[in-house]
Amino acid sequence: MAVAPPVAVPRVEAARAAGSTLARVAKYAVVRLVALLITVVVGVYLTILVANMGGYVDQLRRAQIREGVGLMALADPEWAMLTDQDRRERIERLVALEEERLGLGQPFLVRSFTYLANALTLNLGRAEQIMSDSGSRQVRLILLERLPATLYLFATGQLLLFFASIFVALHLSQRYGSFLDRLMVALAPTSAAPGWFYGIFLILIFAGLLRVLPFGGMVATPPPPDKLGYALSLLKHLILPVTAIVISAIFLQVYYWRTFFLIYSREDYVEMAKAKGLPSTLIERRYILRPTLPAIVTSFALTLIGLWTGAIVLETIFNWPGLGRLLYRAIGAYDTPVIVGSVVIYAYLLALTVFVLDILYAILDPRVRVEGRST
Amino acid sequence: MSSGRMAKRLVSLILLVAFVAALPMAAAAQTVRRGAWVDEVVAVEERDSAAAITRLEAGDIQVFASGLASPDLFRRVTASAVLGYERAYGLFTELTFNPAGPDLPDGRLNPFAVPALREAMNWLVDRDYIVKEIHGGLAAARYLPINTAFPDYARLADVARVLERRYAHDPARARQVFDAEMGKLGATRVGGKWQYKGKPVEITVLIRTEDERRQIGDYVAGLLEGLGFTVERRYATAAEASPLWYSGKPEEGKWHVYTGGWISTVISRDQAANFDYFYTKRGLPSPLWQAYKPAAEFDTVSERLGRREFASMDERKELFAKALELAMKDSVRVWLVERVSFYPRRQEVRLAADLAGGIAGAYLWPHTIRVGDQVGGTLRIAQPSMLTEPWNPIAGSNWIFDMMMIRATADYPTMFDPHTGLHWPQRLERAEVYIKQGLPVGRTLDWVSLTFVTENKVPESAWVDWDAKAQRFITVGEKHPQGLTANRKVVVRYPRELFREVRWHDGSLFSVADVVMSIIMTFDRAKEDSAIFDPAAKPAFDSFQRHFRGVRITSFDPLVIEYYSDLYYLDAEWNAFTAAWFAWPYYAQGPAPWQVMALGIFAERNKQLAFSSAQAKKLDVEWMNLIAGPSLRILSSQLGMALNQRYIPYEPTMRLFISRREALTRWLNLNRWYWNMGHFWVGNGPFFLEKVFPVEKVVQLRRFADFPDPADKWARFQAPLVASADVSGPARVTAGQAATFDVRVNHPLGAYAVRDMQEVKFLLFDARGELALQGPATAVRDGLWRVSLTGTQTGQLPAGATRLEVVVVPKLVSIPTFASLDVVVGK
Repeated sequence: MAVAPPVAVPRVEAARAAGSTLARVAKYAVVRLVALLITVVVGVYLTILVANMGGYVDQLRRAQIREGVGLMALADPEWAMLTDQDRRERIERLVALEEERLGLGQPFLVRSFTYLANALTLNLGRAEQIMSDSGSRQVRLILLERLPATLYLFATGQLLLFFASIFVALHLSQRYGSFLDRLMVALAPTSAAPGWFYGIFLILIFAGLLRVLPFGGMVATPPPPDKLGYALSLLKHLILPVTAIVISAIFLQVYYWRTFFLIYSREDYVEMAKAKGLPSTLIERRYILRPTLPAIVTSFALTLIGLWTGAIVLETIFNWPGLGRLLYRAIGAYDTPVIVGSVVIYAYLLALTVFVLDILYAILDPRVRVEGRST
Repeated sequence: MSSGRMAKRLVSLILLVAFVAALPMAAAAQTVRRGAWVDEVVAVEERDSAAAITRLEAGDIQVFASGLASPDLFRRVTASAVLGYERAYGLFTELTFNPAGPDLPDGRLNPFAVPALREAMNWLVDRDYIVKEIHGGLAAARYLPINTAFPDYARLADVARVLERRYAHDPARARQVFDAEMGKLGATRVGGKWQYKGKPVEITVLIRTEDERRQIGDYVAGLLEGLGFTVERRYATAAEASPLWYSGKPEEGKWHVYTGGWISTVISRDQAANFDYFYTKRGLPSPLWQAYKPAAEFDTVSERLGRREFASMDERKELFAKALELAMKDSVRVWLVERVSFYPRRQEVRLAADLAGGIAGAYLWPHTIRVGDQVGGTLRIAQPSMLTEPWNPIAGSNWIFDMMMIRATADYPTMFDPHTGLHWPQRLERAEVYIKQGLPVGRTLDWVSLTFVTENKVPESAWVDWDAKAQRFITVGEKHPQGLTANRKVVVRYPRELFREVRWHDGSLFSVADVVMSIIMTFDRAKEDSAIFDPAAKPAFDSFQRHFRGVRITSFDPLVIEYYSDLYYLDAEWNAFTAAWFAWPYYAQGPAPWQVMALGIFAERNKQLAFSSAQAKKLDVEWMNLIAGPSLRILSSQLGMALNQRYIPYEPTMRLFISRREALTRWLNLNRWYWNMGHFWVGNGPFFLEKVFPVEKVVQLRRFADFPDPADKWARFQAPLVASADVSGPARVTAGQAATFDVRVNHPLGAYAVRDMQEVKFLLFDARGELALQGPATAVRDGLWRVSLTGTQTGQLPAGATRLEVVVVPKLVSIPTFASLDVVVGK
């Protein structure tokens, strides 16, 4: 993309130019879509290869199946009474059944393309090892079941963090060098610690010591039977993990956005606006916020799709049934359909976001145009 | 006063007295608590052990049902004034050796192909160091292939102690053996390092990383480096290690030593098959096992023990003693420690935990769990994982934490003794066991009778197989017209109240149809003609059929069942328990009345759901889950049809036991249950499943008020009566003079009664460390036993420091207790 200066054109030429622009935009969109699709295909296939260690996971699985069947034999009081032949036969049958269940009869290379085709068509299929909480092997259900819990926590946390940091940063950018500004800068390094680190302290203080907030989980146990009670309980359980998310990143985010806004607030047109005596809220909104909007929107969009991934450790310490823990379990269990399912959805979301952002940029920023070949 | 008024007054007085006398009885009747002590159990998930202990301290949960082994956490628990714990002994660690070679195909040397070098590893490793420094005391040294907390160890304590002393830590001896044997192999020590054909002798120690085996592996690797080997430490998780040690070819030499670990979740009362399993090619068809080359004598002894080819317990002990000795000589496995897990709980919580399975593996926990002396209330239990797989009674979740909850919803004909592994009658009245003469079976408890017979002829009318097409049983007369005999016959007798007092959670009365359904389900899923044939059920069924000889219901009310089999167990109680459980509607993974089973069968037959995971994959349907998820919608639609049809499953057989009217009652009960509870998990235990929150990971169990037993029925199992022993006597004994020693035996509640003691025996190790004398101690009174040595006996002892060891074997727990006294023998 290039920035083209606006020029005045006659009506016919304008119509021709409009048609030409549309064609260029369409062509650009198609090229972008194809490029993004290729990126998704490559990304997902690499995920399949990595999740299966290039096919080595099959060996691990086969060995684990045999070991598991062998251990079961030890626990069987009838085992000792079987003949050698019977023992062999029984083990081989059990092993064959489990290998069949996991589809190990097919070579990995063939399976890898089946995984890819299924993933790209969003036919997420059945998990191999793990189950949804309510006992389904459908990857779709496994992921969907965890989605609300993930959204409750991370949407609340990340959106709070995002908007709070934007508004505080905007405020600080107009008060450069103030005590609050210096305090934020000084506190920025505290964001080096992840959310779960703060989470542990918050649990110890508010749950262990003061006993005013729960240790973890999503709702009280047993969960309140009525919807209002459930919602209030959910809110109460959100306080600590959301606080951990916010504390762990707010200072750095504020620092980042405040620096970003400061650059824009030193522009000549901002100085001119100040010299004209325009109110500071108007200056912030029209002269600082608007030109920075593409960056904010990009950040916001990426924040939104980032919700899909959850956070493994934070979810673990707060016993939060989110997608992060699910993905962690799936990786540990080499459950390719679940890993690929999660990744392909993220990949599609990311590709779509990037594509939409390209379009949005053109709408939001008048300086952005699709470059034409003819002059 | 007229005689009439007198009579009236007298009658009034009598009535008043009778009323007053009846008051306390009525009050007592009202206060008898039935079923569980607590009203509600709420189970929640807590994956982090340290966080669980913090929550216990804060009173947020009352029990953490996970076996922990961390010394740091143990110190936290023992230091806390509000926490207590239960112990379990079911985990053990060993070193597995690669026996291939000694010359590997690529020219390298594998020293551990030599039995003498493997044997020497017993002297090289310091088990006490592992116990104290690595496990922080949460373990016990283990030398032999049998668990020290299980009954066989107690039976063989004298043999075991001799071997344990023989293989005690002696690094100098180990080095001596290594030097000699490595020389024989043609290895040379160059600059302190062993070399073979000009190259360093490399040992790969495959170290598991998930637990303390990491430190143990490092420790062993260090010892081997100290002997002059070049050691590669290869760290691996279970999944990474498995292709190497279990499935890999030993002759490839990718590993030499592996830090193995094993688990036993129930008290094993017969470990005789351990030799066959752990030391011979017969154990498993894995390349490692196939590389084993036990000595011919060891191989024979192992096989005889495994196949129970002995006629008496004395002969078994003889074989066992030989096998233990030969196992140490072979040492393809060097046993290191038995880990002691602890299950933390609040101090005020009381419950019966299993000595092997801990709290999560105990069958009695729901019957005994209580907060102090409180009656009622809610108790919170945390588990490290929950609702891992679908719950269905046939082939549902087998995860220990799911099973813990499932057991709370089930009732059984007999109950596991959590401290001995024996069985007590729970729902049945008594059992008679008839064993073919010459088979080594014994009896401990008096609810079961044991008779030896020349022959157990199976009646022609007994059911021995199932015709899945015709849906009827095949009798012995039909299948074996020539007649059939069995090694074991068990007659299981139930009380008359069984069908009047025992109810399912949906309100249905327990009936003989539930029993018959459970027998049908043993067969039907493994029959190719069945509409619910599942290949995954066939291997286990084929093994079962090899020894099953028949079952017969001889009386319907009271229920009496005869069971015939060629498989037998050393304990009469186990022979009775396995027979009783065979014909009881507790399936592999949980309880179910016939109507719930029928619903599941309906769904699998229509290819909408499947009981087993393998079948679900094959049919491309959901794995049946009776408590949550998409299964419920399918099952509820089946329920409507079944209700309309007053459906009777396996009608050709079951219609003999269920009328249409009864069928309707059952379906109506289930329908009401589903609409009230929202799930299909119908059990008959002291708790019913009230609610499940799968995503939130919460399971709510509520006390079943109609459970027939008083709450204190199993109270005596709340604490294992492990014995403590103390030996006292003269510090110096003159050879040729008699000497007596007192052995005080107590348990946490007082003196150990003589009647509760299996035996107290002594072992006397002389100044050379040899076993010089052994024999029984004599009972003096409860809590006091005496060891008496005659002048002739002491006269045989050489002068010097002598050790008197006493082995105390109680009947009430499987763990023996040892005590010792050092005595100087003077001339």
